Amino acid sequence: MKIKQILLVSFITLGLLSFTTIAESTKYKCMIQMTNYTGEAAYVVISLINPDGEYEKTLYVQGDDSEWYHDVTDWWKFYGKKRNNLDAITGATVAGGSRTINVIDIDDSKIDAGYSIRFETAVEDQEYYTKDVEFPLTSENVKSKKEGSGFIRYVRMMPN
Amino acid sequence: MTISIWRYSHLALAVSSFAFILLASITGIILAFQPISEQIQPYKSADFETATIAETLSTLKKSYSEIIDLQIDANDFVLASVITENGESKTGYINPKTAQFLGNKIEVSPFFQWVTNFHRSLFLKSTGRFLVGLCSFLLFLIAVSGSVLILKRQRSFKKFFSKIVNENFNQYWHIVLGRLSLIPIIIITITGVYLSLEKFNLLPTYNTSHNINYDAISESPQLELHNFPVFKNTKLSEVKFIEFPFSDDVEDYFTIALQNREIVVNQFTGEILSEFNYPLVTFYSELSLNLHTGKGSILWSLILAIATANILFFIYSGFAMTLKRRKAKLKNKFKKDVCDYVILVGSENGSTLPFANVLHEQLLHAGKKSYITEMNNYTTFIQAEHIIILTATYGLGDPPTNANRFLELLKTTKQSETISYSVVGFGSYAYPDFCKFALDVDSAIQLHFKQFLPVFTINDKSVDAFKQWTNAWTEKMQVPVKIAEDKLTSKPRLTNSLTVIHKTEVINNPDSTFLLTLKAKKAKRFVSGDLLAIYPANDYRERLYSIGKVDGNIQLSVKYYDTGLGSNFLNGFDLGDTFKARIINNAAFHFPKKAANVVMIANGTGIAPFLGMLDANIKRKNVHLYFGLRTKQSLELYNSQLESYLQSGKLSRLEMAFSREIESSYVQDLLLKDEVFIAKRLKNKGVLMICGSLTMQNGVLTILETICKKYQLEALSLYQKNGQIQTDCY
Repeated sequence: MKIKQILLVSFITLGLLSFTTIAESTKYKCMIQMTNYTGEAAYVVISLINPDGEYEKTLYVQGDDSEWYHDVTDWWKFYGKKRNNLDAITGATVAGGSRTINVIDIDDSKIDAGYSIRFETAVEDQEYYTKDVEFPLTSENVKSKKEGSGFIRYVRMMPN
Repeated sequence: MTISIWRYSHLALAVSSFAFILLASITGIILAFQPISEQIQPYKSADFETATIAETLSTLKKSYSEIIDLQIDANDFVLASVITENGESKTGYINPKTAQFLGNKIEVSPFFQWVTNFHRSLFLKSTGRFLVGLCSFLLFLIAVSGSVLILKRQRSFKKFFSKIVNENFNQYWHIVLGRLSLIPIIIITITGVYLSLEKFNLLPTYNTSHNINYDAISESPQLELHNFPVFKNTKLSEVKFIEFPFSDDVEDYFTIALQNREIVVNQFTGEILSEFNYPLVTFYSELSLNLHTGKGSILWSLILAIATANILFFIYSGFAMTLKRRKAKLKNKFKKDVCDYVILVGSENGSTLPFANVLHEQLLHAGKKSYITEMNNYTTFIQAEHIIILTATYGLGDPPTNANRFLELLKTTKQSETISYSVVGFGSYAYPDFCKFALDVDSAIQLHFKQFLPVFTINDKSVDAFKQWTNAWTEKMQVPVKIAEDKLTSKPRLTNSLTVIHKTEVINNPDSTFLLTLKAKKAKRFVSGDLLAIYPANDYRERLYSIGKVDGNIQLSVKYYDTGLGSNFLNGFDLGDTFKARIINNAAFHFPKKAANVVMIANGTGIAPFLGMLDANIKRKNVHLYFGLRTKQSLELYNSQLESYLQSGKLSRLEMAFSREIESSYVQDLLLKDEVFIAKRLKNKGVLMICGSLTMQNGVLTILETICKKYQLEALSLYQKNGQIQTDCY
């Protein structure tokens, strides 16, 4: 009985502790260079994907008009239900040929832990790319350049 | 092209697009306040104009650990995206010289965002964008067709902005505001169309591509940021945005967008690696956006808001006018070929139709077979005995649209010559060509039919004058016609408040004439020769008096009649009393500005405008006055004024005629005696002005006609046409 009780108490304490612990995080500079496509400027959503391939957190949204968020279909299924406040992590849409640099914040615990980062893009009246760019969050990848497959030509990341 | 096609297009365009234009205008007015709300923020630094890129970048580098980019918006606010020493990322406005953080980036409020979206696409995405763009284009066409209508009305480019007469609230303001907001509206629509074309990729596109030779890129010779020549020589005010190098890699660089080009700068050496000149289309795009939204200028935003608010008024007043025109439709009970009476109407905006309709109804009521139609529908009328023409005049003496083919039809249509006719002209004294078309019709129709009554003219839709005519007509025709005033009257607009400041007694004058001096409360612009309209019983009955402007006041000369409506009303006032009246611009009877010689001919109270004109003759033009009264005693009323004008040289010569003295004479006799002088005046471009009774006018005109013939001058009508002979008689 005693062991069980001790185990329970320590489990609860640990649980509480884990809640109160301030997770260490790092800011990354992230540059998105678009291809020279024509048409409306693109909505680009950067998300953290857990090892099971599911959305875990929205890191940045290029596109400040929530009216069109549902065009980013897959992400909308995740975000649309809760609609957290994104004010601090939104920027303007990105036009064809241009580039944008933003700063994203990623918990250190997610690096080298099977998590991925996803860049999905949507342009009004044109295609939607769920995985325009997606790569695992490894300490190597977060300071590299990755080619895109849709509206994005490449993405460069760098820890700040 | 005729005016009706333009008007029809103007209307058709408006009908087809007004719903969208209405929505776009309402949202547009709201949106005009977005740039204003931004601009009143205190984020513009006094140093902005003088700062260089070098200064700003070096201070920024010192203050923040990392800078992502820098943007300068239309308000000249410097927006920086930075990471602070604490690793916090911030986007906000900074002072370009001190790098002081002034405030966070202004986020467009969800409300303005929502309205913008609605304005751009009505929430219909591409379809909506297309509709809005199309309607913007239609509005442009509406503005163009509207301008053509104004041009047609005013007859020349020069007169485009000259005064028009306020006959009808909707029409007047539709034109006045239309002219004022024409340029802003054209700019709004053109830029709106441009922005739509841009959205649909219908404009030439380009890519800002830089050709950088990465093999030749070098880290040396390294310079400090503030020593880069291009940074030192470029003012921040020329910059649109600066993108900082992504990393310390030499292949990462500064990208700087200037007004007309984009340059790429080596982050170590300051060397310009590549330069790209923007095509003209970027300039137009930016211009369009700023002009359309009002970005960067509070004044322009306000102008846009006001011009857009005017669009709402145009929609309202335009439809109100159309409905009014439609309402005044002509209805017939009998077929044209069985009717004895034919009423032909010429009207531009429908205001003459009620008069014609009332007459038509009365004839039917009296058991007569009457047929009413527009003048352009003139055709054969087999049974017709009498034709009544009621017509307005459009623009400068032209026929109204629905009567513009009448004179032609009159010539080509075969009609019984036993028909008699009467012409009634509707017009306004404010136009120099008062009722000109009615007079033209009268002289043309004389060749075909018998004149039943002389042509009769009506100023300013006066019901009273119309009654006078119907009375004369009824008496002669023996057909009872009673005019119900309530159907025709609109309340007169009494705009001038007048105070009696001087009045002579009726009993002191042998002709029961008195002088009345009135002070206008509002110093409204008027000149001698204009008319004062009073409404003694506060109903449709109007009395007109010719104004003499003496010392800035209105001086009237009024003959008192025991039963006179107007004279009793005016005589009833005591000093200090105030009443309301209306001043009518009588452009056809103003003291000539150009002519050097003027001859004035007056009898009785007709002297009133001349007393004012002489008072204003400070240039001492050569003026001769022929003045007829009954007795020498009658002159006492005017003597002091006339004497002072003679002494000051404002009046060169005064010739008097007294009809009730022993040596009875009339002004006509004076003219005959001076025929050589009068002939010379007419020949030398002098102006003859006649004011007084109609009998006197007719007498004078007869004498002038003889003089013209005798001295081989032009025909009298020519002098009347070119304004050398002006009349204002009653």
